[in-house]
Order: sequence, then C-alpha cells, then structure tokens
Amino acid sequence: MPVVKVLTEGIGELDLTDIAVYRQRDGYRQWERAVRELKSSEVLDIAERSGLRGRGGAGFPTGKKWSFLPAGDKPRYLVCNCDEAEPGTFKDHMLLENVPHLVLEGILLGSYGIGSHHAFIYIRGEFKRGYEIFSRALEAARAAGFVGKNIFGTGYDLEVTIHRGAGAYICGEETALLNSLEGKRGEPRLKPPFPAIAGLYGMPTVVNNVETLAYLVPILRNGPEWFSAVGTERSKGYKIISISGHVRKPGNYEVALGTTVRELIEIAGGLREGRTLRAVQPGGGSSACIFEEHLDLPYDYENMSKAGSMLGSGAFVVFDDTTDFVKCAFNLVRFFAHESCGQCTPCREGGHWLETVLHRFVEGRGLASDLTMMRRVSSTVTGLNLCALGDSIEPFLKSVLQRFPEQFEARVLREVASA
Amino acid sequence: MSSAPATSDLVSLTIDGVPLQVRKGTLLVEATKMVKQEIPVYCYHTKLGPAGLCRVCLVEIEGMPKLQIGCNTPVAEGMVVRTQGDSVDKGRAMVLELLLVNHPLDCPICDKGGECDLQDFSMAYGRGTSDLADPKSSKPKAVDLGPTIVLDEERCVVCQRCVRFDDLIAGERQLVLKDRGHRNMIATATGDPYHHHFTGNVTELCPVGALTSKTYRFKSRPWDLKRTETSCTQCSVGCRMNVDVRQGKVLRTMSVEGDDAVSDWWLCDRGRYNVGYIDAPERIKQPLLRRDGAFVQIGWDDAFALWAKAIRSAIDAGAPERVAAFGGGRLTNEEAYLLARTMRTLGVKNLDWRTGRQRQATPGTSGGTLLDLERAGAIVTIGESSAELAPVMDLRVRKAVRHGARLIRVASQEAPPSMAFADVADVASAAAAIPANVTRIALLWDGVDSALARAAFSALEREGRTLLTYITGEQGNARGAEAMGMLPFAGTAYHVADSGRDFEAVCLDALAGKIETMAIFGANPVRQAADGARVRDALQAVPFLVVTELFMTETAQLASLVLPAAGAFEKSGSIVNLAGDVLPTAAALAPPEGVLSDFEIVVGLARALEIELPDTEEIERATIAAAAALPVGIAFGDERFVGTAKKASSGEGLQLHVLHHAFFGGGTMANDERIVALRPQPTAAFATADAERLGIRAGDRIDLVASAGKIGDLLAEIRDTLRPGNVALVGVHAGSAENGIAADARVRVKNIRHLDVPVEA
Repeated sequence: MPVVKVLTEGIGELDLTDIAVYRQRDGYRQWERAVRELKSSEVLDIAERSGLRGRGGAGFPTGKKWSFLPAGDKPRYLVCNCDEAEPGTFKDHMLLENVPHLVLEGILLGSYGIGSHHAFIYIRGEFKRGYEIFSRALEAARAAGFVGKNIFGTGYDLEVTIHRGAGAYICGEETALLNSLEGKRGEPRLKPPFPAIAGLYGMPTVVNNVETLAYLVPILRNGPEWFSAVGTERSKGYKIISISGHVRKPGNYEVALGTTVRELIEIAGGLREGRTLRAVQPGGGSSACIFEEHLDLPYDYENMSKAGSMLGSGAFVVFDDTTDFVKCAFNLVRFFAHESCGQCTPCREGGHWLETVLHRFVEGRGLASDLTMMRRVSSTVTGLNLCALGDSIEPFLKSVLQRFPEQFEARVLREVASA
Repeated sequence: MSSAPATSDLVSLTIDGVPLQVRKGTLLVEATKMVKQEIPVYCYHTKLGPAGLCRVCLVEIEGMPKLQIGCNTPVAEGMVVRTQGDSVDKGRAMVLELLLVNHPLDCPICDKGGECDLQDFSMAYGRGTSDLADPKSSKPKAVDLGPTIVLDEERCVVCQRCVRFDDLIAGERQLVLKDRGHRNMIATATGDPYHHHFTGNVTELCPVGALTSKTYRFKSRPWDLKRTETSCTQCSVGCRMNVDVRQGKVLRTMSVEGDDAVSDWWLCDRGRYNVGYIDAPERIKQPLLRRDGAFVQIGWDDAFALWAKAIRSAIDAGAPERVAAFGGGRLTNEEAYLLARTMRTLGVKNLDWRTGRQRQATPGTSGGTLLDLERAGAIVTIGESSAELAPVMDLRVRKAVRHGARLIRVASQEAPPSMAFADVADVASAAAAIPANVTRIALLWDGVDSALARAAFSALEREGRTLLTYITGEQGNARGAEAMGMLPFAGTAYHVADSGRDFEAVCLDALAGKIETMAIFGANPVRQAADGARVRDALQAVPFLVVTELFMTETAQLASLVLPAAGAFEKSGSIVNLAGDVLPTAAALAPPEGVLSDFEIVVGLARALEIELPDTEEIERATIAAAAALPVGIAFGDERFVGTAKKASSGEGLQLHVLHHAFFGGGTMANDERIVALRPQPTAAFATADAERLGIRAGDRIDLVASAGKIGDLLAEIRDTLRPGNVALVGVHAGSAENGIAADARVRVKNIRHLDVPVEA
C-alpha cells in the first residue's frame, strides 16, 4: 500500500508530545544542526531543492516564497498558519496535537531559513486541545534551550509567540491572518504589497502552513533529494490527505504526491457496499468536483488543475450515489457566505444571494430562472474578488450544477417550471 | 508647481488604443482620466487611495488571465489596457448587478437621487434587468449615527470611504465596519455618537445615499439647487465651498473637488453646517436706535445721518482721536479697505481689527503655503490648537504626522487620539525635540502671545533649515483686514501710518471719557476679548456706539445704534486666508430686505459725511494690490502688534485657560441650533496632581470661583497633558460679561459633587 509514515510516524504508538520521547527519536537534531552547522541560506537552498510546495492550499514553492524577502536590516517574521478551517481538512490540528515538537522544529527551521528572530503560530480558536499541547511543547523546548536567546550557544536568538484565533475562516487567508495577529479586524489586505515586502507590522513576512513547516524536518534529515525523488514532475514529495465522505475508513493518510485518485479511495477503505462513485471534491470546500473519468489521474497539483479543480489543502471528499448535491451545494455556499468578511462586493453579495436561492431549492421551491442565473453568476464572479474566499464560493456549485442538473431541476416548483 | 518629470520617471502605455506617457507609479484609474476615459469607482477616492473593495473598476490588461482592478494597478512599461470590451463589460455589469441585489430601489425618496454613483454607473454599465427572485435584505433605515449624520444601512455599498476618511484623513478612527459578510454595517467602534469636527465629509464621500446630513435630508432634489462657488469665511483657512440654494434658502454647503491648495477637498462641520443662522428669526432686519434705554426701529437715512453727526462733531472739534472704528476680521477686503480709507480720510487713526485675543494675523515673509505645511518634517505649535482654530488646516497637520512628521506641542493642546506627538514645556525643549535630519519646520501660532512667538521663531531658526510660519486665527479675514489697513499703526498694504491707538487702548480711553463715538463692524469683543467684563464697561462709556451685526449680540446690546448687516453668503468680494491666498467670495443669495452689507453701510456713512468715494475699479485695484503685497517688515510675533493692556493674574488659586472650541464663536453660531447641538458640555480639565490634591474625580461636577464671578456646574475632566496649577475650560465663555470671570483669572474650585458610582448589575 502506498501509505507512508513521515510526519505521521509514531502517531498512535508513541507519546510524541513528550519532548524526551521526541528527542529519543532524533528530535531537534536538525534544529541543532541547522543552527550550529548551516547558514540560513543553506537551509533556504535545501528547502528550494526539495521541491516542497505550500501544503496550505495554494501550493506555492516554499523556497521561492522565502526568497522573495528583500535583503535588509528590517525585522522579518515567520508566521505558522494553523488556522485550519477549510471544509474537509483535518490534518494540521492532528499534527499539532500529536507531534507538536515536530511542528515547532519545523517553525524553528523555517525561521532560521529566512533569518527571522521572531516566529508566530496562529492557532485556530477552536483548537483548544492543540493549543494546550503545543503550549506545553513550546515551554519544554524553551526550557531545553531550543527557543529563546543564544540558542545552542551560537548567539542566535529566536522567540516563538502563540496567538489564538477567534473563530473566523477568513483568518486562514494569510493577510487576514496578519491583520488578526496585529489585533485588527480579520479581513484580507489589498495586494500588492505582498507579505514578503510588507507583512506583519509592515515587515517582511513569510506565512507557511503547519504541514509545510513540519516537512522541513525530514527534508533536512534525509536531504532534499530524498523528498524530490518522490512525487510527480512538479509536485514533489509527500502529503497528508484528509479523506472523508462516502468511504469506509475516513481519515488522514500520508502518501506520495501522484498517487491516483482511485488509489486514494481504496486507501480509505473504498466505497460502501453496493455504492457507486458520483464525484470527488479533491481540494477542500473551495474546489470543484472531479468525476469517474478522473479516477486514474495522479493526485497532484497539475493534474487536479487540469481536471478543472485543485489539490488545495489535500481535503479529499468522496460522494457516492446517495448524495444530494443540492444540499451539498447549499451547505458549502452557506458556509462561505457565512464566513465572508463582507469587504468586497462579489463575495459579500454573491454568496448571500446564492445561499438564499439554494435554500429555496433545498425546500423544493426553486425557479427555472434561478438555474440560468446560478450558471451565469457562478461562471462570472470567480476571479473578481479581493481574495480567494470569494473565488471559493462557486466552483463546487458550478461543477455539480453542470454534472447533475437533474438534481436541481427536480427541485424547481412544477407549476412555475411549466408556466 | 512641480517641475516636469524626467524622462526616466515616465512610463509608456496604451489605454483603449490611445498611447500615453505618465509618471511611474500612477494608478490606472488616474491614468485613464488622462485619455478622457472613465473607470467607475466606489471605494477608490483620489484623496483616500485604493482599497480594492467594490471591484467595479475592472480593466483588461493584455497578458493577464484575469480582469484587474484599475484602482490598485500601477502603470507599467508597454502595458496595453482596455477599459471596455466584452470581458470588462461583463465583469463590471456583474459587480453592479450584485451591488443592486440588496440595495433598496428607494431612489425616489433618496437624497442622493440624481447625483448617485450607483444610479449613474448602473445606467452606464449595468445589465438593465435583474434575476433577483427573493426579497432584499432588510436593515435599519434611519440610524442616528451622531448629531450630524443619519445612516441608511440598506443603501450602504460597504465601500468604507467613510471608515477610511475617519482613519486616514481625520485620524479620529471612530467609524468602523461591524459584523461580517452581508450583515456588516458602518458604526462607531464604541457605540458612542459619531461626533468630531469633520463628520460631514463622509456624506460627500458616500457614493450612495447611505450617509446623509440631518440638515439636508429630504430637503431637495439636487437638480433644483442653484450652486455658487465661494470661500468659507468661518475661520482663517478660507476653504473653497459650494453653496447650494433653493428658493432663497441655503440648503447645504459642499466642498470643492480639486481645491488642493486650500481645503484639500474637505470642510469642517462648522463651515459646513453653520448655515442655519441665515434664516434665524433673531436676525436684525432694520436699524435700531437706543432711545430711553430701549431700541426703536429707524430708517437707514436717519441712521446714517445720526452716525455722521456724531463723527462730525468730534472731527469738527479737531479731535479725530475721539473717534474709533474696529473690526475687519469678518469683513471682506473691499469692506475693510473702504472702512479704513474712509476713516483715514477723516483723520481717524484708531483703527483695529483686533477686538479679540488674537494680536496678529500676518506671519511676515516667513509664511508658507498650506501645501508646504503637509511637507514639513516637524510641526511646532504654540498657543491653542489649530484643530479648534483652523480645523481644515489641522487636517494637513495630521497628514504631515501620518507621513512621519513630528508634532511638538508647546503647552497643553488637543490632538486627535491617534496622533503621535510630544508635549514640551517650552520652546527650547521644542527645538531640542526636533530630529536632526529635519530641514523643514512649520511653526503654528494662535496669534496671542507675541513674546512666545518671537522666542519660538528664534529658537527654531537655524542655518540650512526652512522655517515656515502660520498664524491660525479664528477670524475669516483677519489677514485681509491687516493688509487693507485696519491696524492702528499701518495703512493699506502695511505702509506705516501715523500711530493711532489699538482696541485695548481705546477701551481705556473710553473709560476715561475720551471717546465720543466708536463703530464696531462685525465683531463681538464683549464675548471674545480676554476680559469681556472690562470691555463691556468701556463700551458702555462710549456716548455713541455703532455696531453692525446680524444678531443682537452681547456687544450690540450696548450700542446706541445697531445696523443690520449682511452675512457671508449674502455678499461678494475677496478675503486673504492665513497662508496669504487671495480668495474670492461670491453671494449665493440676497440679504433679507432692509439689510445692507458692511460695504453698503460704509458707503452710506461716507455719503452722509460727504466724503468722496473711490469708484469700484479703484477699490478693486487697491484691494488686489494690498492683498497681494508682501508683508515685508512684519516679524513673526512683531512687537508692534503687542497689546497695551497687561496680562492679569497672579496670586492664589489655579490659572484659568479658556480653550477655544471650533463650535463656539459669535452670533452666527449662537443663533444656529444645529451648531449649538454640536458643542461639548461645559468642562473644566485638571492636571492629574491637582485633581488628586483637590479630591476631584473625572465626571464630577464642580464650580469655579474667582475674586469676581463664578462659573457653575462644570464637568470635571483629568488630563495628564495639563501641567499642575492650571485649569482649562472647554465649552464655556469665560471672559464674557455673563460670568464676570476674566479668561486669564485665578480661580478656586468649589462645591465638588461626585458622580454616583454606578451599581454593578
């Protein structure tokens, strides 16, 4: 089976929240090596050569993101994005709760890689347990001298600050996160300037996902080639896939990128007895569905994009033939409309409008004209928004409206439909 | 004028097929205007910059897969931009359709109807039909946001121009966006009423009818208004202003877009909303003569004859020094010129515009432009705050601070809560607080303490540094009055004249029975002088006192003859603002029947005196020349401007300071209920140490008592910016006759009433 144990190694068997256990398994060894033996630029170089791409959703090459920071004396910050809230994604808090030291070591390595002396981790407010576990881990690491002043006697200082979110999906968007971290209203910033130039407190900043940073540890341990040797041409290495929906064994599975969609379904125990596949949402609530014809596609950034969807954060939701796609579309649109910060017009108005209309469909009160409208609106507004949230509202709706029009048509009021 | 940009600063691009070159960094929304095309915007505003919220300014750029927003995309070399075409039209129509999804179509009763960007852009770029089958969301329609503004939440398109104005321009940060998604709405952060000196600007910034002025709601359609562009004369800034009149009534005033030099496109609430006095029933509309202790109405001819007779009797007796004429700060240049000239023709030299606390209006040749002010690296203020005296000028101060200038306040003054500032005790400390790399310093002075002004000037003057001075007077045309010759020691265009006596000296003369007749033009010294009670006594000792006024002010009540004068919107002419800009004023409406302008009043007097008057052309030539004359030979804090009366106050008790407040002033504000509603509660501010020593807590009610008089029921406030030994009054006319306390008296605190401690629920 193509399931691997890299970040997930030891989870469920060992108490890796205990710093002693983590250290027995070479924990903080890469951190010590980096600080003692490597230059910042060498860590950046390793990250770049590994082909690691952002595991939070956008899939941007990590080393390249770091390299955008301008040279200079300004303080620079690394922010670990642990505001995981994409519908269908449940990997980051799993890492936070089970391997907090691995996450922290990743944060330390990332900070060192960009030459930062202050890192932040923004933890989703609902992750109370993860927050408590990580806080204890941070204190233990601080007590061991891995965080703070003069680390390993090298003169390198690095502080880590934990910040808890207050319950807004939008704060997972990196600039909204920075605003929230600064104590401002959690809403995305107008770009440019990008965080690399003017991020947290106006300083050069890198925002990386939990999983992305955690992978730095095995990449440093095993070398960048170990990571880039697996995967497909432009999607290198491993990834934790949160598989859910109509499968027998939903859960987090760590695999090499490029594992096929069909294999992923099988890894999660396959479909329930007697059921047939209708669709897969391969990249979280923001992504469009893919269908049977895509089953043998390698699951990687490029192929998901070619199929009209995206890999996103690796939230893989399976839908079988019992699915009511009208309800699913309503549920997702309602979520995004609820989470919209309301700054920009298409997201604020479009999301709410579609939610209202879909609610009528759920109740069997759709109008034929609504179908025309939803097709028109869902194919126009994507790309008009200030941030990615607005562009996340319609892809699922658009794809299922196109694939399963009969499910929507069945909810159109008959007398109106025939009039 | 900025010099032509170097070629290397220029970028070549094509917009809608038209090639053009623009400065590097120019935003597409601005560049597009240069090719006479329009990119529709809601959230973008030239003075607020891009926000990227409304998404209506979409453009197509060759080589870019998605439509881009014109408001946050700078020009780039070789860029090919299309502001129309299938793709742009479709995207823009989509955004407009979405904006209308929840926007009520109550245009027939919306004040903005006819000048609404949502109407106009929907018309120009909209789809024309709607697929909306559900009810629009329902939100509160008439939210009382504060004393000036009403919010219609349904109409709001969430462009946040108002929020950004409050943050970026006013620095007050009262308005915020609350809640989230389609439920979000504009509100104050604290829930307190929206109230500061510049709130009215948000009604102009609002692209729809969400924010409206209480004074204009449901009053008119815009196309029924007759617009006159003039200059505001409420304070010495002279903001360009549009006055909108319908059926002989001023319904609203608006800022003038493009007025970069003076107002920077803004108005303060005093300038914007103080128009209610025009129609006030209390206005005087006929000359009034005091007869047996009561005023009786008389005709203009009789009024001029009586006045001329009083003047003639002194002049013919060879005693022009027994005649005096004051005022000018509220007159036009033409009026002040004609008054000074007429008086000097008679040999009258007791001329002075300075009937209040301000001693000087012309800063000399070191004065700068208002644009210069915002480029200063440090701003030192002495005396009272420009926020109260010259509010719109203070927005330039805030702009400079936002761009990194250091604001250094000598003595205690107000600054908006978000501003960084340094409070220093004296001018030497101010000089020391200026960063070494600052080469351009602005020095702001309220025109009161001349010695302090001189000291500040010499402390800040340095080789290789530009020191620009500003006198932030409260009167609209004080500088013009000085240029026109309403000074005892200087004639028209600052030419040295035989010295007459200034207002304070003439008051002493009056008390000594040496003044036969005095005229006061548009001034209320009983209220505005530092010691109003003493001025009242002096004026009462004048046998024939003439006052031109709109209202029966404290000063007018003492007159033998009160002449009804036209207000600022009822006459044309010119003024000189504090920066030396000569600005035209234009009559937006005619004065009420029976009311003459001060110009006509001086003409009437001159005719009655049989003095030959210059013709209109000569007046125009002379005023233009005088207004444009360089104030050579006048120093900042010039000793000649210093008053003769000594400053009082020594001894026991706290030193009283009456702080100026923008919404306090003469009759036009006292007789405008909408302005009265904006005034703060009468407040006494104490230094922390004094409050502790006296047992005063914030929120207590107290009385202040002086050797003469008492001011009762003041709200106590603690300010750590005040130095011990001082008490500052806000919203109280101390120094006026009504309470008998001189504005610079020593006072004691009496009768402290503690605020009841609220019971925890």
